[in-house]
Amino acid sequence: MTAKRIIACLDVKNGRVVKGVNFLDLRDKGDPTELAARYEDEGADEIVFLDVTATIEGRKALLEVIKNTASVLSIPLTVGGGIRNIEDVSTILGNGADKVSINTAAVENKKLITEAALQFGSQAVVVAIDAKKVGKEYVVFTKSGTYNTGLNAVKWAKEVEALGAGEILLTSIDRDGTREGYDIVLTKAISDSVNIPVIASGGAGKEVHFLEALKVADAALAAGVFHDGIIKIHELKMYLKSQGMEMRL
Amino acid sequence: MRATVINYGVGNLFSISSGLKRVGFEVSVNSEPFGNEDLVVLPGVGSFSAVSGYLGSRREVFEDMRKSGVYFLGVCLGMQVMFEEGTEGGISKGLGWFKGKVDKLIQNNKERLKLPHIGWEKLVVTDLTCPLTEGLNNQYVYYVHSYVAYPDDESIVRAVSVYGISYPAIVCSGNLIGTQFHPEKSSKVGKVFLGNLYRWVKK
Repeated sequence: MTAKRIIACLDVKNGRVVKGVNFLDLRDKGDPTELAARYEDEGADEIVFLDVTATIEGRKALLEVIKNTASVLSIPLTVGGGIRNIEDVSTILGNGADKVSINTAAVENKKLITEAALQFGSQAVVVAIDAKKVGKEYVVFTKSGTYNTGLNAVKWAKEVEALGAGEILLTSIDRDGTREGYDIVLTKAISDSVNIPVIASGGAGKEVHFLEALKVADAALAAGVFHDGIIKIHELKMYLKSQGMEMRL
Repeated sequence: MRATVINYGVGNLFSISSGLKRVGFEVSVNSEPFGNEDLVVLPGVGSFSAVSGYLGSRREVFEDMRKSGVYFLGVCLGMQVMFEEGTEGGISKGLGWFKGKVDKLIQNNKERLKLPHIGWEKLVVTDLTCPLTEGLNNQYVYYVHSYVAYPDDESIVRAVSVYGISYPAIVCSGNLIGTQFHPEKSSKVGKVFLGNLYRWVKK
């Protein structure tokens, strides 16, 4: 049985962690490399950096961070945010990331998914889907959740699989940051419709939320609850194992 | 101990280089073996046919390297090309150091197992006397793959994992070693394996 994965996500801006990190000794440093290493030590199965930089200088700083992190981390590192083209993919992977996560650019230029999968393998290509309930339907939003693409989330998930994506990082916009739990209906709908791993994201607040998510998804991602120390990764994994989940401890 | 990580133009070489450095190797990255190293490492990224293409005219270099008795570690795809042939991206030739072929992990996906197989799986050590497998039994290692090796000679298999089927996780014959999992991505357990390898090469 493949172990279910717990993934810690860090928002990185200009090479620094930007929000919600309450570890006393890290608050001032905001050093993503240090925090990533700490999460590995606590039992995280993967790390995701989400680059929220808008400047060229910030992108350069990110590449430095990826390099430094890859040299200390020995679990997989995914980098997402602002990836527009195959050169971006190549640069990020070439600097030490194992996977890239593509969101807006995947919708605007579907060929990018296939191109990246052919060149670097499907395993390196995560497509991030941000979904929001509109009426009775889950719809895909891009541009940090601001732009309604009109795409049905399940249909889009099937399409990205066919285009060559190796994993789907599925975020519920409705639940993101609420700590009310993952959107299980959405996660199950996507997970049942594709044959590639699905990572649940958005809404984690309690340990039981992870349990619910991992019953339908392959991995669960969280940011705030880890940064704020509300949930400790090792304790979380012990709990999940006690509930019958296959976990790496 | 000097290790050369082979760069064939794609993917992440930082992790494997760092993993080797952490256990004590001096690491260089080059497109071919230098000829004076203790260990040559072929990392695992891309597709079988792409790596087969890279090997192309360099087969002799690698054959000479093998005959010299230097230690060799193939990781993931790097292990797969140590076999005779692979079916990914059309049938293409491997190095043929191990008899057998590389084919899809799941032939008939009735259980709807997710592919690529991405994640942590337990190692089941089948040869507990092999110094490479010390401390690895029942430990989780990280996999990213859709293809596995089907060796003709089961005696080269030192450990297996199970995903739909039981498949080789560690193979070894003489100085030639291959892992289907990524030791450089397998956290502490990966470090244990690379440490075992370091001591083995040093001996």
